[in-house]
Amino acid sequence: MSAVPTHRRPWLRTGAVTTAAALLLSGCFSSGSTDAGGEAADGRISLAMLQPPRSGLSPLSDDAFKLSRWSTAETLVVLDADGEAQPALATDWAQVDDRTWRFTVRSGVTFHDGTELTAEQAAASLTAATEAAPQPRILDGVDLTAVADGDDVVVTTGTPDPLVPQRLSSPQLAVLAASAYAADGTVSPVGTGTGPFELVAVDGTSGATLDRFDDYWGQPASASGIDVDFVPDGTARAAALRTGTADVVEAVPVSQAGLLDPELVHEVPMPRTNTLYLNTASGPFADPAIRGAAQAALDRATVVDTVYEGRADIAEGLLGPALPWAAEGRGELALPAAGTVPAGTAITLGTFTDRAELPEVAVLVQQQLEAVGFTVTQDVREYAFIEADALAGAFDAFILSRATVLDSGDPVAYMTSDFSCEGSFNISQLCDPAVDAALEAAAAAPAGPQRRALALEAEAAVLATGAAVPMLHERVIQGEQAGVSGAARDPRERVLITSETTAGD
Amino acid sequence: MGDRARRAVVTASRLLSLAGVVALVGALPWLSGRSPELSVLRARSAEQEATPEALAAIRADLGLDQGPLALLRSWLGGVVRGDLGTSWVSGRPVGPSIVAAAGVSLTLVLFAVVVAVVTAAVLCTPALRRVVRGEPGRPSGVAGAALTALPEFLLASVLLVVGAVWLGWFPPYGWDGPSSAVLPALAMGLPAGGLVGRLLADAISAASSERWIVSWQVAGAPGGQVARAVVRRVLPALTTQIALVLVGLTGGAVAVEQVFAIPGLGRLTLGAAQSQDLPALQAGMLVLLGISAVFGIAASALRVLLLGRAVRSGSVPVADPTSIWRPRDWVLPGACLALLVGTVAAGLGRDPFTSAHPRLAGPSWALPFGADASGRDLLARVAHGAVDTVGTALVVTAVSLLVGLLVGLLPRASVGPVEVANAAPPVIVGVLVAAVAGSSLTGAAVAVALVSWAPVAAYVAAAGTEVRASAHVRVLPVLGLGPAAVTWRHVVPALLGPVTRNAVLRLPGIALALAALGFLGLGPTPPSPEWGLLLAEGLPYVERAPWAAFAPAGALVVTAVLAVSLSGWSRRRPRATSEVASSGAPPVMAAR
Repeated sequence: MSAVPTHRRPWLRTGAVTTAAALLLSGCFSSGSTDAGGEAADGRISLAMLQPPRSGLSPLSDDAFKLSRWSTAETLVVLDADGEAQPALATDWAQVDDRTWRFTVRSGVTFHDGTELTAEQAAASLTAATEAAPQPRILDGVDLTAVADGDDVVVTTGTPDPLVPQRLSSPQLAVLAASAYAADGTVSPVGTGTGPFELVAVDGTSGATLDRFDDYWGQPASASGIDVDFVPDGTARAAALRTGTADVVEAVPVSQAGLLDPELVHEVPMPRTNTLYLNTASGPFADPAIRGAAQAALDRATVVDTVYEGRADIAEGLLGPALPWAAEGRGELALPAAGTVPAGTAITLGTFTDRAELPEVAVLVQQQLEAVGFTVTQDVREYAFIEADALAGAFDAFILSRATVLDSGDPVAYMTSDFSCEGSFNISQLCDPAVDAALEAAAAAPAGPQRRALALEAEAAVLATGAAVPMLHERVIQGEQAGVSGAARDPRERVLITSETTAGD
Repeated sequence: MGDRARRAVVTASRLLSLAGVVALVGALPWLSGRSPELSVLRARSAEQEATPEALAAIRADLGLDQGPLALLRSWLGGVVRGDLGTSWVSGRPVGPSIVAAAGVSLTLVLFAVVVAVVTAAVLCTPALRRVVRGEPGRPSGVAGAALTALPEFLLASVLLVVGAVWLGWFPPYGWDGPSSAVLPALAMGLPAGGLVGRLLADAISAASSERWIVSWQVAGAPGGQVARAVVRRVLPALTTQIALVLVGLTGGAVAVEQVFAIPGLGRLTLGAAQSQDLPALQAGMLVLLGISAVFGIAASALRVLLLGRAVRSGSVPVADPTSIWRPRDWVLPGACLALLVGTVAAGLGRDPFTSAHPRLAGPSWALPFGADASGRDLLARVAHGAVDTVGTALVVTAVSLLVGLLVGLLPRASVGPVEVANAAPPVIVGVLVAAVAGSSLTGAAVAVALVSWAPVAAYVAAAGTEVRASAHVRVLPVLGLGPAAVTWRHVVPALLGPVTRNAVLRLPGIALALAALGFLGLGPTPPSPEWGLLLAEGLPYVERAPWAAFAPAGALVVTAVLAVSLSGWSRRRPRATSEVASSGAPPVMAAR
């Protein structure tokens, strides 16, 4: 050890310098109270989440879902398991005419900053979202205005929209106190929500701290607070569960789930369908019989078992088990008949690397298609570099993991953008009058059983063309320490820690 | 050329390079042809439809319609006032987050340095002991080479599993106290210490033949005193390289920061580059360049301090490295070569793409390296990947040798570009190249080549100055030779041997940098069997099926040991110009 380069410095001075440096630098560690991990004695829940905030936890971005998962920011309306609207900050609502809805704002609600919730503030929050640049995705194509009228908020849309209550359930339309909205357009959810937990500190991209809000309008939270860590690495998140560092862990990767105690992992079906899109406009798949052959060639069970280790659901249609009504209401599907593939039919198969399992799925799909006579060339890139080509129809086949319900909980918008002639995400290049008619009928229907039935008819019309081959529905794996109770297992990934969640003892 | 003119050239070179980098980053969206408003939209809201209205709103919001020049002007104006701008993605000021991230990174580096110092000390102890005992120097050991070849991201995952899960000694992630710094510091410090330790050991072996040691020993100096003197004797030549390692640790620790969820500078800059968040990226690059400059200046100051009078009088003593190459020293490179060639020969005939085996099948006679998560034959994949990885690394090495030689012949004008290229971690350059050209093996090779010529150039610059200062070259103009003839007929031939050796030593570092880019998704795309990609695919299963990650990692280590042990062999020949060895930049593999 005699070669330590500093050894000729006087020891005393070196020591003093090192100590001073250590003292100075200790200020560089995070100040969050994240060290409380796993110890349930203080009644706090420690939570390991996947993605760090990207946009400073602004509710107008994807970060909104974090705010709702922590029960700190609330919306006027929430969705139940069927996707129907239920009261939250609004106690009641009614459709006044085609384009106008009236929501009654709950009284006795206090923001975390001490101010009272008023109809004016609710309208102001909605207006802030409509004026944001860009607008939150839930408002895509919707010209929405909100004004206060007594204790009510009156919401008007540019065109008739049967889904206004469902839209207002989007976490991106959360109602925050006036102090949240800065003059420069930034929105801060720290101490400005209405939920059972108050966001008290955000530590950049490494963590956040929430405390119980004692003046909550509903049932107060059982836990005294939440300590959040953002842990992008899957191995580290799984380790958090195994070491007891975290009580609840979001999105445990399939590769790690096998290492965990099966009692601690809970699989939640996601409204996501892993689909093989076939190009109906050009190439071999312009022929429906060849599409049918590709459909018949796919062995979905092998893909689910090999890539997902059985932790996914084999797809029956475009809509999976995250929408329980889809399987119940679905009738017999008419799929295109399988023709014979001329040996050596060359096709290109595209997918992207951003979701790690897609390239693995592509390996198996290539093999299964080649077994029936196709010659497959793979083209795998990062999503940002392949999206434009995929939308332009550059591939004969494309594997995509697609969210089937966005914020409104309704699948019609997804099917319209993916399969209608005018659809903006029409990878299959499909233009079929029957499909368009079915989609239009579904889009115009009011929310409820009728709309769901029409959505399933539209799904059947799409599948009859063979333009899309649904392969499987993904599940998200949520880890919960033994003793944790009341953590929500939400397919829409909107709720996680609620007022009922406890870490146990 | 007068002293002042020389300093002016150096300053101008630095300023021009800095301006070049700032302008290049500022023009990134226009170079890449990827609209920044789309990447900003994707960063804020992943599944939002990119409607023309949404994109127009972002464009207007960010002021993109003004074009790159106006944007750059207003950004520069802000920097002059101390305002680093507002992040395009988060809408928050960049300054505070950059300062916080830099603080975290420097703290982490401090911990890593402690680990590195201990590692280096352990590695160079044998060489020091030989000097004290008066034994001849030997080529440096396998341990250092193997440590240097271990990818940080693999080390990080293994340490996480062992230190946090199995032993339960440390938290698995976070940044809230010294205990959370231990595992990341180990992951970063072990390879860095391996590199520095090997450099030190080599330099100590080289110094062991100097006469003063014998004189001291004859005069009865105790062993400890001789050892201390030898360390002090070799340190000045290494300060620049050690500074480079520190710079690499600060900005290049992206993968380790990712695994342990540490909010450091590397992760911040990488994220900014991926979402084309120009203000954050500009600020990140400025801070990285600043840290690099500070470390560089501190290194030269330390060098002057250590050398004292000798550097002012221009009489720095020169080491004449000799080491004895014994027949049994062939065993190690021979075994490595046989292993590598054997693997490639055995695997090239097998199918690397078809999923024909059970998922994660263990090693067996039929499947010597086991199968990966898709049920593909790992032996076949490692063998086919060797052609990609090692072949590309060879090409990059050749390119950096050529560029480094040509640029290094202009020692003063090249200061700026060399410093900039040294400061930029290959990962960040990889992101920039990928942003412009997309992810591919060629892109990764270009990215690594863009930074790997710089240490070669620094070495050429330092060594060339010394060759020119030697008596037999100084006399040439008197004999009527023009400057070009002196350079091409005398300086370049004298440099060629040592510089080539220096470049070859960098081969494993370059292979590792390529693998790191592949690991981060900035290199070749699936289903290519490139080694970095193999590591990325195998890493999630490091605990359940270690072979999936250890097969490519082992191949990388064998390649590194082969290159390093062979460099000892080439040193056996007598030197034409022994002066070269005393230059400020001895052979290293600092591409990491």
